[in-house]
Amino acid sequence: MPMLFPLWQVDHEEYDAICSYLNLSPNPRLYEKLSGYLAAAPFRSDRPAGFSAFLAALHLTRFRIARLDLVTKLKFRNHRLRHAINGVLALHECDPDGYREMSASPIGWTVVPKVLGWGFGFALRLMITAPWLGWQAFRYAVNPGLRAGETLQGKHVLITGVSRGLGSDIMLHCLEQGAKVIGIVRDRETADNVRASLPVEAPVTLLTADLATPGDLVEKLRGAQIRAETLALAVLCAGVKHDGESVLTLPSLRDTFEVNFFSAAEFAAWFCAEGNPEALSGKAEDSDSAGESRSPATQARQRGDGENRAKATLVVISSIGRWHGMRGTCGYNASKAALSIWSESLEMELRQSKGSAYSITIVEPGMFQSGMTGQSLLTRLLAVPRRKLAAQIVSGALAGRQSIRAPRWFALLTWGVCLLGRNFRYRLFSRVKPRASS
Amino acid sequence: MRIVVVGSGVSGSHAALTLLERGHDTELWDVGREESAFPEPRATFHEIKSQLSDPIGYLLGNNLDALIPPDSPELLRYPPSRAFLASREDPLWSFSSDSFFPQSSFAKGGFANGWGANALTFDEDDLADWPVTFSDLDSAYKTVCARIPVAGPVDDDLSPHLRGVYPSQPPVRLTASDEHMLQTYMRRKVALGKLGVGIGRARLAVVTDAAREDACDYCDRCLWGCPRASIYNPRVSTIKDCEAYRGFTYVRGRFVLSLLCSDNRVTGIRYLDTDTLAIREEPCDVVFLAAGALQTGAIFLRTLKRAYPNIAPETDGLMDTALVKIPYLSLGRIGRLENPRSFQFNRLILGLNAGTDGWPRYLHGELLNLTSLIYYPLVERMPLDSRYSKELFFTLRSALGAATLFFPDKIVPSNRQVLIESADPWEKIDLRYRETDQKLAYIQMAIGRIQSALRKLGCFPRGPVRSPSGGAIHYAGTIPMGAGAKRCDANGRSNLVANLYVADGAAFPSLPSKSITLSLAAHATRVALNARL
Repeated sequence: MPMLFPLWQVDHEEYDAICSYLNLSPNPRLYEKLSGYLAAAPFRSDRPAGFSAFLAALHLTRFRIARLDLVTKLKFRNHRLRHAINGVLALHECDPDGYREMSASPIGWTVVPKVLGWGFGFALRLMITAPWLGWQAFRYAVNPGLRAGETLQGKHVLITGVSRGLGSDIMLHCLEQGAKVIGIVRDRETADNVRASLPVEAPVTLLTADLATPGDLVEKLRGAQIRAETLALAVLCAGVKHDGESVLTLPSLRDTFEVNFFSAAEFAAWFCAEGNPEALSGKAEDSDSAGESRSPATQARQRGDGENRAKATLVVISSIGRWHGMRGTCGYNASKAALSIWSESLEMELRQSKGSAYSITIVEPGMFQSGMTGQSLLTRLLAVPRRKLAAQIVSGALAGRQSIRAPRWFALLTWGVCLLGRNFRYRLFSRVKPRASS
Repeated sequence: MRIVVVGSGVSGSHAALTLLERGHDTELWDVGREESAFPEPRATFHEIKSQLSDPIGYLLGNNLDALIPPDSPELLRYPPSRAFLASREDPLWSFSSDSFFPQSSFAKGGFANGWGANALTFDEDDLADWPVTFSDLDSAYKTVCARIPVAGPVDDDLSPHLRGVYPSQPPVRLTASDEHMLQTYMRRKVALGKLGVGIGRARLAVVTDAAREDACDYCDRCLWGCPRASIYNPRVSTIKDCEAYRGFTYVRGRFVLSLLCSDNRVTGIRYLDTDTLAIREEPCDVVFLAAGALQTGAIFLRTLKRAYPNIAPETDGLMDTALVKIPYLSLGRIGRLENPRSFQFNRLILGLNAGTDGWPRYLHGELLNLTSLIYYPLVERMPLDSRYSKELFFTLRSALGAATLFFPDKIVPSNRQVLIESADPWEKIDLRYRETDQKLAYIQMAIGRIQSALRKLGCFPRGPVRSPSGGAIHYAGTIPMGAGAKRCDANGRSNLVANLYVADGAAFPSLPSKSITLSLAAHATRVALNARL
């Protein structure tokens, strides 16, 4: 079982540290079971918040386990370490070798020195834990960035392209944050694979839609009776990149634009106007008439009642490549340029016609660990971990950020390259080797 | 004449057997779910961990569904393989409540698939509110003690309170901790007597005679399902006895919803076919309700709604045994080795002669030291960090125990079952239950006395742990004996419907502290014996 929810699961290293702390021998078979069990924890338990969430994000070393074990016994009982230790004890107790280890205990007079030793150890542990906890509380108090902002608990999020890559990570992050996810994938087989990779309790609805077919996404959403006004967040992550083909290969170019650009525009028309294109037109400049022409989705959001209290956020995943051309990617950069510029225009139009009911976040990732970039040593060193990027995108979108470019140094580098002229860019990018399509 | 007994638990099976012995053809209707066989019958609880290919799957479930989360109040969850209790998600689940958390069973044999095996009887004092005397019940006790193997002493300090128990088997073997407790008791008997506390060997419905093939072999797996069927279970004994009669028919797959009535007589039964989920009706001449006090009350209320719209569809009573555990540490047992094989349930019982006005004089309790449980929920609850909790727990394990107290109950107007309208194919039942101040005061008094007694026994007691209302599975009094349309007479015959008999705990007009199983069997036997057929 891969690490789906880092806020709840423990990795191999952390499991070994927990076993060492509990005086048990690590067992890979039991770790697999534990990992599967903890992957379902977000859907069985309340999500930690505030200082508890801050403590949950700490990587578990043996030192921290000893501190957190004591702290979470007294408070923050929903901390992932409590679930992990409880799971380790349960699994090892039901395993014959684990039980032998656990139940080995002193007998006769040896009990007395042992118990005295444990009492001394416990007192020492208390003395170390108190200042450590104070230090963590200080770190939490002075660093606003560590505090959790708006959460997705119980909210509905739609994400396209959840079968792999950044879309998959955004889905997992949203689930970990307590969201109910509507995921869009290409076909039934992919949907089955995604479903099989998640815990059965995960609140995910998977819909299939071919984004290369005009209108298919919106038709499938309507067919599934998804209502736009129930969505708090929509992340358009699906994308296609035809590598190694001429930009004059028109079928590939059209396919790229259909998936990367037109499907986003169609979705936005449904999301913001719910099938009422006039609502997005410039006719609605007059505030009174704009009010009358507003879609049910917009009106519901502006009333601010019930689950529609928060405004809706549309996140479009573009690319830092939208700032320059690139041979051999058959319009990928062009489609992303169109997407970024169109999204900015959409934001202007929505602001004028609908006030603050919607916010648009344009994400232009640079180097991150995706299926679209190679995994060279340099990439691994410089690229943003994909899961971290997913968390940045979701938290940034919820905070109302208009643009997210990660890593920033890569965006600055790109803009610098753009300033150096087309001949320089030609020389630089002509060295790039085309990769298989994705 | 078509006679139908509803429910295959202790009450239903003994009613059916008695009717068959009287020469009447009898049908036993039941949902009738069955558990799969218990694996590795010779292995002890800890040995099966080595002998099963997937012990974690067996004990915690393939998806670890039985793993108790750290923030849960539960101390024990049956493994998914033990499916005799219904979950609240079960399509047949019929109850709702915000104050009462009942258990329900649709298994063949009912709750007896997982009961604690304590076989005690009600005496005159327990029966003070009943229109039935001990001598009325005694012959039925004798009959059921001939059907049910009872292991226990012929005489001890508790015998005067436990008349009507007729042991046919030697008492279960004691562990070293039990021996230590009994020896301490004998030394401190006078001081404990002043507190009104007596200790004796448990009276248990279990085969202990080593000459018998089904004798207990002390595998420590009582809670996980007795693999040798040594503990009494009507599924493997009384219903088998019924099957020896040609006039007996066991009908599974029927969840009885209500009775069809005309002229104050039952004319038929409305039931859900659990295989097809179709609601059907069948005629019958006499009905014995023995589906358990809660289900029997539910059937009665649905019948009232259809046949007697002028009578409010709520019962006259609902009683529940409050259960309190007092964990303790037996100081003299620290660092001692425990027997590798033992009987997992309590081998000792205690009695508190409380002498409180309005309640039965005798309060029943069970003394249990830990032998074979899954311990991690207990480790999680220790007030130290997990590492030291684990080390300390396993060091102290042989010295740890719990005194479990069972508190009696009475009928009060506010505690009852109420039929609620529902969009479901059949009406659900709301369980309204609050403990009275008088009962809470009694509980507090008894806890204090038992904690004092434990200290005198060389134990260090901790604070009591209360089970939520409904958690102890001893329910009664939903169609109690007494005057009124919604009650029955001393022979369990409904005051409203002439050919309807209440053969289970629904008919009890008070709920004594003692374990009710033997009295359920005796009541059912007596009702079936006295029924006018």
